[in-house]
Amino acid sequence: MPMPMPMGVASAVSSSDLFKSHPDNLGRPHQPEAAAVSLVFHPKSNHLRTVSQHSFRRRPPRNVDGWIGSELRMSLETRNGPSSADRGEGLHRIPGSPPLMAASPAVVSSIALPHERSKKSVCLFFCEEMRELAERVALAGDSIELRSITWRTFEDGFPNLFISYAQGIRGQHVAFLASFSSPAVIFEQLSVIYALPRLFISSFTLVLPFFPTGSYERMEDEGDVATAFTLARILSNIPISRGGPTSLVIFDIHALQERFYFGDSVLPCFESGVPLLMNRLQQLPDSDNISIAFPDDGAWKRFHKLLHHFPMIICNKVREGDQRIVRLKEGDPRGRHVVIVDDLVQSGGTLIECQKVLAAHGADRISAYVTHGIFPNRSWERFKHDNGAGPNNGFNYFWITDSCPLTVREVKNRAPFEILSLSVQIASALQI
Amino acid sequence: MAKRANKQVNLFYCAECEELARKVAHHSDAIQLRTISWRNFDDGFPNLFINNAHDIRGQHVAFLASFSSPGVIFEQISAIFALPKLFIASFTLVLPFFPTGSFERVEEEGDVATAFTMARILSMIPKSRGGPTSVVIYDIHALQERFYFGDDVLPCFETGIPLLLQRLHKLPDAENITIAFPDDGAWKRFHKLLLHFPMVVCAKVREGDKRIVRIKEGNPEGRHVVIVDDLVQSGGTLIECQKVLAAHGAGKVSAYVTHGVFPNKSWERFLHKGSEYQFAHFWITDSCPLTVKAITDKPPFEVLSLAGSIADALQI
Repeated sequence: MPMPMPMGVASAVSSSDLFKSHPDNLGRPHQPEAAAVSLVFHPKSNHLRTVSQHSFRRRPPRNVDGWIGSELRMSLETRNGPSSADRGEGLHRIPGSPPLMAASPAVVSSIALPHERSKKSVCLFFCEEMRELAERVALAGDSIELRSITWRTFEDGFPNLFISYAQGIRGQHVAFLASFSSPAVIFEQLSVIYALPRLFISSFTLVLPFFPTGSYERMEDEGDVATAFTLARILSNIPISRGGPTSLVIFDIHALQERFYFGDSVLPCFESGVPLLMNRLQQLPDSDNISIAFPDDGAWKRFHKLLHHFPMIICNKVREGDQRIVRLKEGDPRGRHVVIVDDLVQSGGTLIECQKVLAAHGADRISAYVTHGIFPNRSWERFKHDNGAGPNNGFNYFWITDSCPLTVREVKNRAPFEILSLSVQIASALQI
Repeated sequence: MAKRANKQVNLFYCAECEELARKVAHHSDAIQLRTISWRNFDDGFPNLFINNAHDIRGQHVAFLASFSSPGVIFEQISAIFALPKLFIASFTLVLPFFPTGSFERVEEEGDVATAFTMARILSMIPKSRGGPTSVVIYDIHALQERFYFGDDVLPCFETGIPLLLQRLHKLPDAENITIAFPDDGAWKRFHKLLLHFPMVVCAKVREGDKRIVRIKEGNPEGRHVVIVDDLVQSGGTLIECQKVLAAHGAGKVSAYVTHGVFPNKSWERFLHKGSEYQFAHFWITDSCPLTVKAITDKPPFEVLSLAGSIADALQI
């Protein structure tokens, strides 16, 4: 496996050491592609750090309140004691400490940056419904500072907005964390998004974890109106700041072709929440008994490469007369803990149908992961915890990210739901 | 001058504008109503379908919009962005009332001009085979807002005042009418359209902590005074003007605004209570359809319809 030469520092650790007894491996044969690392000299801390080649393969520690951690570790994790996160102290950043090079190459460095880039200092604005995630993002990166906007309404219902300390952001990198959870909240956020780039800032990034519209749409007839395209057009018209086109960060966009809807005046940056799932699965006691199931070929195409070291099951919808039935297309769930993976969930019908089929074929327990828990009309209520009683009684885990904050509020302390936070990935994306 | 042949126009409309759209189509044989199916997906986002999309190929098309609240903007914008790309001959957006901006003051860096956001969104309307979209707006609140639009749309600024003129000429006391303006801004905008009436101009003056309306010029004594402004929100300004005019001997006071915005049912303050009233007539146009529904048949309110004016604008 290629290993870039560290700059001016002799490698203190042999490559074989890095992969011995890795806690994540759990006796499975080493998979080089999954854990490719390079040694990078970091000027700030003057030591060697292992950095993942795959930018967002972080291993978040477990917290006790249902949140799966988004701490950003600034130094190599040691085996000499639990982190404060593992002690259940809630989210906070562990200050950088001198490295202990010994046995633990757990890949937890902050950002996969080439050595000469220093961190960008970023002013992060956010819409109210994203406040909690914004606070986590600011915790996850030491160079991210939260900024506030006054969100009021005039009597006629139209927004009355004020960006506090607007002069203070001149020459700064600025970002806005948006959430278009319904059409009604788009206009006020858009007003801020259009105003910020023109305040003499040095660059602008829009983080829109969930890009709505388009998940139900089919452009089949002339006359179908593609609202996804409308939204992409609106975002493509964000004014250019001194930093050039706005970067637009979106997680697991529903239809891959939607990436082509954006004009050249924005730079879309398509990320995925699936690495969070990967890390979480590796922490489970039965992680060696996990199989991944995809509800259709579309989901398999999108996600199988990120999850390839797990055995896979693919379902598909088949027409029998008037009905559409979910069938197993390939793979065997017998005796396995099956995790169904998809980009989003709406009514949950697809997941429930998959659950039935997998249970009928002998799955030992069933969990689910979606990046975006949309759950309109409280449809999350259909998902009950199995309480150890098997896959016909419910789900063992249901992981969602915090891309849809209104859902997070409803489900965060309700089994089987667990929230995997995008905060660390967002903090990293802000450094691009 | 040779008369231009009428353009055949296919008029689409948002749900709240249906009544006005019917009136517009009624005004001219050249205007035909078309429908859009406005539904929502479970997640609250629009599920829209333009019916008979093939039939509008090569035709002039228009859309009658109403942005009465931020929540209805996205669905209408989706239709507005989609229509020009259906191989139509030209596209006109009729937005009688351009919201936002009526309260805004961009005084400090940090104030966010939502009027500019709205203009920017409209400036993004794709071009059709007929070139840039025409955008028809009545009595835009701040005249400088006309400069907010880029070159990709052709704004067409109309006014509802001619409707008022026609109505005033029909009044029994048409000879006794004086026009009053609540401030210099309104006078600047409208006086040229109302030149043959005597005028009164009011002004807001500061006395200590209070703002009081005073008469700056003109004499209302014994006259039927009609206060004219582009829009009304809470109605506070109009009520203060009426008091001052009455105190200076006005015989009757009426009001005209193009846009009856009236948030939070503020029109209730103007209703006649039996024989007691401050305003003899209160004219608004049908630019704000939700208000029109609320005040129909409730004195002193009378609706002057923009339908004829819109039908003419569609022939531009």
